[in-house]
Amino acid sequence: MSIPFFQVDAFTDKAFGGNPAAVCPLDSWLHDSQLQAIAAENNLAETAFFVPKDGEYHIRWFTPTVEVDLCGHATLASAAIVLRHLEPTRQKVVFQSQSGPLIVSRAGDRLMLDFPVRPVEAVELTPAIVAALGGKPLKAYKGVRDYVVTYANAEEIRALAPDMAKMAAIGPFAVTAPGTKADGDVDFVSRYFAPAEGIPEDPVTGSAHCSLVPYWADILGKTELRARQVSARGGELWLRLKGDRVEIEGQAVLVIQGELFL
Amino acid sequence: MQLPVYKLDAFAGAPFSGNPAAVCPLESWLPVSAMQAIAAENNLSETAFIVRRCDRDYDIRWFRPTDEVDLCGHATLASGKLVLDVLERGRCTVVFHSKSGPLIVERTGDGFALDFPMRKPRQIPITDEIVAALGAEPLELLEADRWVAVYPDAKSVRTLAPDMAAVARFPVRGIGVTAPGCGEDHDVDFVSRYFAPRVAVPEDPVTGALHCVLAPYWSARLYPRTNFTARQVSRRGGQLKVALKGDRVRLEGQAVLTMAGQFSL
Repeated sequence: MSIPFFQVDAFTDKAFGGNPAAVCPLDSWLHDSQLQAIAAENNLAETAFFVPKDGEYHIRWFTPTVEVDLCGHATLASAAIVLRHLEPTRQKVVFQSQSGPLIVSRAGDRLMLDFPVRPVEAVELTPAIVAALGGKPLKAYKGVRDYVVTYANAEEIRALAPDMAKMAAIGPFAVTAPGTKADGDVDFVSRYFAPAEGIPEDPVTGSAHCSLVPYWADILGKTELRARQVSARGGELWLRLKGDRVEIEGQAVLVIQGELFL
Repeated sequence: MQLPVYKLDAFAGAPFSGNPAAVCPLESWLPVSAMQAIAAENNLSETAFIVRRCDRDYDIRWFRPTDEVDLCGHATLASGKLVLDVLERGRCTVVFHSKSGPLIVERTGDGFALDFPMRKPRQIPITDEIVAALGAEPLELLEADRWVAVYPDAKSVRTLAPDMAAVARFPVRGIGVTAPGCGEDHDVDFVSRYFAPRVAVPEDPVTGALHCVLAPYWSARLYPRTNFTARQVSRRGGQLKVALKGDRVRLEGQAVLTMAGQFSL
């Protein structure tokens, strides 16, 4: 038996940049243990599986070790496969997931994810946080999932070498700073670390921008923002705050198309 | 530009076991930066690149996600399976020329055999530090191009939970553990596991090179035997036949094709 296999780099227009995801369209669901074994074999941060249902798709995401309830970059990657390969005449696609419906639409040569906003509140910048992250953090905030810690400039963000063991004991962190000319005049840059979830550093993190966007929209007094995640692979995002939603636009590039043999 | 890519599970009889490797057959060498980027994108322990030569042999190079390596057994077995079963179906033997010299992969009854140099180990003292790092006191500690700790039974090897940070501190590329097959592993002569956190491989699923040390050890211990069946009892698990032939070790295993595709660059 064989199933289709795609590998897509999300939030980039260049192969080998952005955040890689495996995408396996299925006719019907395989057993959970098979889905998990395939994701382990792919060994990427996430493998997305989806099955057509009533003009929409039912989507699930697996890391090499567990199923997760939401993954932005693998959803963007899945939408790229649906809208460019499987159903090239469609303008948008709805994925039904454990986290509710996720809509991805065409936006020129980009794709747009519509995600819930996750506002942040100021929290104490504790010595434990400073010790975990290093550098000279300015302020700390916390949303429903992530800590957001601010720095003075992009160079400091790039130079950070966090202590993953200390960080794992606290929680996932987005670190952020204003963008500069060197970063293509983006409004802000970020990096994202989730060692407790098995991701020391994530190359590009759509969902972290659910908290970064309301923070920067407030600071900069605008709702349309451009951002760069300055990980080694790097990624670029176009963002819009719309009430209690965040629109996240990015590019996606197909790098491998093939078949898996089970 | 399109580039074929295959993924195979080496030392495995079925998908999702053994040690996965990617293999990219090339018309001619790509720049090292391109091969490194492809290996990073594949994100498997090794990606092998092979180029067919005029004499029908192949040149081979192996890349991890971060760097090039001199020798890799499981990706060579995977490359052999790909050449002999897919690219040149029906062919029986292929020679891969590498930085570590020529490596021959030969079709056998139900799998493929690799011919590797033997690495005869010597006994070294067991220290408190090694006992603490491995979490259980071995019967013997051996040194060759890597260390091997010998335990009394397969169960001790299966249940070992080493302290990876401590294992990484020893000045050696990796530490293997081995024991006679017994209990649920009574069908094989010996079992093993291999830990190399120092080179970012906490536990390797199946390790061909480790068996170049294990073959002379078990041959001396089970004298005069020179042919063994072995199982690496990692989570994915792998099955090998091992034969000591003078100063060479013949490793035999199966390999399974799990993915065939095209890179778009």
